[in-house]
Amino acid sequence: MTQTPDEPILEALMQAAQQGDKQAYARLLKAIVPKLQVSIRRQRPFLPTADIEDLVQEVLVSMHAVRATYDPSRPFMPWLMAIARNRLVDSVRVYARSKANEVNVDEYPVTFSDDAANNVVDSYRDPEALRKAIQMLPQGQREAVELLKLRQMSLKEAAAASGTSVGALKVSVHRAIGALRKALSKD
Amino acid sequence: MDTQHLIDTLIDNSRPVQRLPRPWVRCALWLAIAVPYLALIVVMMSPRPDLATKFAESRFLIEQLAALATAVTAAIAAFAATVPGYNRKVLLLPVIPLAVWLGVLGQGCISTWLHLGSAGLSLQSDWICLPAIALAGAVPAIAMVVMLRRGAPMMPYLTVALGALASAGLGNFALRLFHAQDASLMVLVWQFGSVFLLAASATYAGPYLLNWRSVVTNRSV
Repeated sequence: MTQTPDEPILEALMQAAQQGDKQAYARLLKAIVPKLQVSIRRQRPFLPTADIEDLVQEVLVSMHAVRATYDPSRPFMPWLMAIARNRLVDSVRVYARSKANEVNVDEYPVTFSDDAANNVVDSYRDPEALRKAIQMLPQGQREAVELLKLRQMSLKEAAAASGTSVGALKVSVHRAIGALRKALSKD
Repeated sequence: MDTQHLIDTLIDNSRPVQRLPRPWVRCALWLAIAVPYLALIVVMMSPRPDLATKFAESRFLIEQLAALATAVTAAIAAFAATVPGYNRKVLLLPVIPLAVWLGVLGQGCISTWLHLGSAGLSLQSDWICLPAIALAGAVPAIAMVVMLRRGAPMMPYLTVALGALASAGLGNFALRLFHAQDASLMVLVWQFGSVFLLAASATYAGPYLLNWRSVVTNRSV
């Protein structure tokens, strides 16, 4: 991937961004997003646009997290593309793992008389106890449960609404579910 | 969240970061932590009485230098593995000193066999090598993990294997200074074998020690 003469010097922008220059970082991110979109679309031509956008975001977050590893004396694009390749490989691994755990069913059991449709309701029959248990959770965990489970937001929407990261939200909701399970099983 | 929103969030959360030094500089920093600890271990365990004589033996010197070079090159390779886009050829750095180390020990076994026959290659139990190398390599290993976690988890298994090889290699270097065991076969099996075993088993901890999830959670927005 080559740079055209009118493009900003990415190496200089990243160097400035490492020193906390937000304007340089904004220019850098603006310049690399189309490059990432093209590169990912070329490597994963079968993916819908939304999935490509998810992967671009994944690469951006990863790049942001490891920006201290960039050495300004080296070219920027190979550094970025190494991260992108690594995250793409990871995404294939995650996709394969999730597919392995998926069970295709022709018809979901939704009738009230069907046991399979009632097993979740049976274990949390007391909504008041659940409400109290949620209130007892620490602030971060309570917020994660409210956004992800009660308001049914996606991880990205919840991260935007709470101003925290997707990873932190995942951890919070995981801990919250564990705490709720413990609290409700005591009752 | 759309990409523009994410970009705005990343910009808002962009603070100055301390750039990671180059791999060989990080290796020097790691040695600065590890060497005083190893010196303390050698002093505490009391150096072997024939140490001065051993330093006059070329075979001992080559073996020790090869072990040290293996540790240093493995550490440089491990640090380089956490830098995206770094030339992957650097990962082969430890191969040559490792081959020299193994070659010196192998040559020792062959020459013992030629001089003393099969009686010279008897293998006794020397289990102390494994915990002793683990003890001597503990602080270097902890320092290595802390330093590796500051990089990018590009190749967790290989990175941790190289880091463990560096730490165990350094541990073995120290062990040879206080443990008077020089029979090549014994050194090959119990000392080199312990280094190999520790490095191989640490490899499985790779994805737990180095992964994108923790990197993104701890250092991201």
